[in-house]
Amino acid sequence: MKVLIKVALALALATPALAQQEAGFFPFDYRLVELENGFKAYLIEAGAPNQIAYVSMVRTGSRDEWEPGRSGFAHFFEHMMFRGTEKYPNYDAVTAEIGAARNAFTGNDQTVYYLVASNDYLEQIMDLESDRFMNLDYSEPDFRTEAGAVLGEYQQSATTPFGFLFERLRETAYDRHTYRHTTIGYEADVRAMPEGYDYSLSFYRRYYRPENIVLVLAGDFDVDAVEELVRQYYSAWEPGYVPPQIPEEPTQQAPRRNTVEYAGRTLPVLTVNYKGPAWSASDRLAVATEVLGQVAFGPNSDVYKKLVIEERRVQFLSGNFGLARDPALLSIMSMVIDPADVGSVEQEIQATVERFTEELVDEKLFADTKSNMKYGFLMGLETAQNVAFSMIQYVINTGGIEAVDEYYRTLDSVTREDVREAARRHLVGSGKTVVTMVQAEGE
Amino acid sequence: MMKKLALIPACLLILGACEMAPEGTIALREPESPFIAFNIWVQVGSQDDPAGREGIAALTANLLSDGSTTADSYDAILEKLYPMASGYGYNVDKEMTAFTGRIHRDNLDAYYELFRNHLLAPAFKEEDFERVKSQTMNFLERTRRYGRDEELSKELLFSMAYAGTPYEHPEEGYVESVRSITLDDVKDFYSQYYVRNNIVVGIGGGYPAGFIARVREDFNTLPEGVVPVVAPPEPRMPEGIEVLIVEKPTDATPISIGFPITLLRGDSDFYGMMAMNSWFGEHRNSFSNLYQVIRETRGMNYGDYSYIEAYPLGYTTQVPRVNCSRRHQLFEIWIRPISMTAPGNLHDRTLFATRAALRELRDIVDNGMTEETLATTQQFLRNYTINWGSTISRRLAYAVDDAFYGIGGDGFLGSIRPGLEALSLAGVNEAIGTHLQYDNMYIVLITRDAEAMKAKLLNGVATPITYAGEKSAEHMAEDELIAGFPIPVTEDKITIIGINDVFERGQ
Repeated sequence: MKVLIKVALALALATPALAQQEAGFFPFDYRLVELENGFKAYLIEAGAPNQIAYVSMVRTGSRDEWEPGRSGFAHFFEHMMFRGTEKYPNYDAVTAEIGAARNAFTGNDQTVYYLVASNDYLEQIMDLESDRFMNLDYSEPDFRTEAGAVLGEYQQSATTPFGFLFERLRETAYDRHTYRHTTIGYEADVRAMPEGYDYSLSFYRRYYRPENIVLVLAGDFDVDAVEELVRQYYSAWEPGYVPPQIPEEPTQQAPRRNTVEYAGRTLPVLTVNYKGPAWSASDRLAVATEVLGQVAFGPNSDVYKKLVIEERRVQFLSGNFGLARDPALLSIMSMVIDPADVGSVEQEIQATVERFTEELVDEKLFADTKSNMKYGFLMGLETAQNVAFSMIQYVINTGGIEAVDEYYRTLDSVTREDVREAARRHLVGSGKTVVTMVQAEGE
Repeated sequence: MMKKLALIPACLLILGACEMAPEGTIALREPESPFIAFNIWVQVGSQDDPAGREGIAALTANLLSDGSTTADSYDAILEKLYPMASGYGYNVDKEMTAFTGRIHRDNLDAYYELFRNHLLAPAFKEEDFERVKSQTMNFLERTRRYGRDEELSKELLFSMAYAGTPYEHPEEGYVESVRSITLDDVKDFYSQYYVRNNIVVGIGGGYPAGFIARVREDFNTLPEGVVPVVAPPEPRMPEGIEVLIVEKPTDATPISIGFPITLLRGDSDFYGMMAMNSWFGEHRNSFSNLYQVIRETRGMNYGDYSYIEAYPLGYTTQVPRVNCSRRHQLFEIWIRPISMTAPGNLHDRTLFATRAALRELRDIVDNGMTEETLATTQQFLRNYTINWGSTISRRLAYAVDDAFYGIGGDGFLGSIRPGLEALSLAGVNEAIGTHLQYDNMYIVLITRDAEAMKAKLLNGVATPITYAGEKSAEHMAEDELIAGFPIPVTEDKITIIGINDVFERGQ
């Protein structure tokens, strides 16, 4: 195809973040191509002459592993997607010839496949990618071989302190929802993967469907020509997405507490967790919850200054209040220097929780946090790949990128009262789960 | 929908848009960029750590980066950086220290004041030192030993290969050496090495005209100093196979293999060896032959790669590390953890993978590349390497590395394509013959039941593996050759240490 090479003009990013609100926060032109089969492609004109980032976002991750014994399967299946098709039996060889930087990753809510390459190969890449999403073809022996690659990957992470901790934290905090297991899965399920060939075909048929996958193409290309290509290569894809039967997590009725022993050397790691709301671009309290994590436990919070900088009682403190497609954990984590001090650090965290349910956040900190979130987004838009990756959470949570502007409009409207209300609603004692990892005796 | 802009033209900028830079600066001005990147190169590294104070270069940089200045307390610095969603970081390698930062141009003035002060006006507060040292000690005593075994195995390989040289110790130092470092030691180290004639100011992106001169003037307020010169390391080539086994209760064993080479970026053989290495073991890419043999065909682990330049923290990145320039390098093979609990005898899979890698190495040394593999690699790298300079921070860091290696013209990034296109098969294979061999090798394994591993290495028995599915007769015939591939090692060349002794002290 003929590709238009543009002269890049960086104008919008030069203006302050707040000034961009009039025209919308997302600073690039884009076009949505939506096909009858439900497939959506967002074509983002992000310059970077001759470069493209071709990112296929599957709205399926370890959250969708609802069937017993199948934890870790979404991640494993990501591996199988590189095993070729009848038309392109050697995916690796084709991408090597293109010289594409390509890979994939899997999380709770998503599996993301990407290629970054010269736009000279755009049509070839679209042919290759649409083909593997529609016509993946692998033998059972190949499937069994690939299953072996996952075990070492599991064991590398499962024996680290945090790999060990996260597995147990989720088991403690969840009863039914699939967030109960980590993305890499349980070891027993990983070991059983070679026997799952037929299941893998079912997995592919149910989830790798046009209604469940969004293409985000960022970089330098002729939008009209690419729209035609999208229609040409993706229209034949038959819909047929079957939603997973994810059990709903019942409301937690009482606080939970668990201490786990790591069979190696570690300082104690204290985690205090609450159940958050689902991600939303329009719900002020959902966005306020993300703000709450920053103002209460971020690097500019009072408790961080006290515990990390002034009193130096902990190695680190973090508040991860990033939301997910379903209600996920709002997690406060700290590594405590003196094992005898864990209880008093927990009290400091609890006092902070209580303060934010009672008081309004400091006005300057609140404004600085909004600025931090906006500049954090803008600072992440340097390359075509960065631009496409910045869209992941919006696509996975909503199915499109329109939510970017909506999210930042909502953020603008969030008040200090909303932050307090988010704390009152979500940081409740009956929903609290405290998991502490300590070093096993004898280590 | 009406929107605005396009990104900075990355690949044009790789070719260089350097303006006339004042002395002691590296300027990569890209006026249309909304970002400004800093890379302050201090010509000091862990090789400059005094004996008994190993880790002081890293601790000094850490304290500067995460400490107060005479203008602001550390918490005030965090408070000022926070609304800009920015920060600054550092990287200490064997020979160089780089302080890096990136800011949206809306916030340049406020940011630069903080960035400048953290290097030029450190407060050296005892409480900051205590915090930073405590975090380092936790890393040395626990995280390094119980975090990523594969990263630890690489560190140990380098330590083995550079024993007795200034490259021997890890940048972060040993448990005992860091424990002994005082705040006064750090102040002295700063005074000795952070002098104006030892610092190069690198700035890239959309900074205003005249900005770099202003920054250089600021750094010129530092005193001049006499900086000790460290000779390049002259590591010992291993005599045959020398093995280090770390005893650790783990379920998967990482393997690091390597030996010293006399090849540096900028050498005439470099592009030929770059092509060889890409075909043999391109970092985290299925293009790698090792990957194809060990992972793709046999499903033994997550990946298998090789290196002709140091590549620390490779698990965190898919593009090469920057600002790790060195005057000496190893050839290195990284085999990602092999499960010890998969079906089969203990250690057989680990040794099978080791043997497979050594066998592939022998093959490339004996037979070299072919016209076909060279052409495929040239085609692959032609486009793949464009990604290496995708951001202004990376392009600037490469420019700093060019200064280290004395690479002029279009710089390393700009020279890759012509360098690859000029290759001949004969030239590549001659370079392979010059730089690679398979008789002398350091090997590091982190595994449980180290004695059993030692015994299995010494008795030389075949170590076959089994599969969950059927394999062809041809495949199984090759497996038999791999399973019995010799690893000639003698007892005096095998060392076992416990995990909690790793990097406890210098030898």
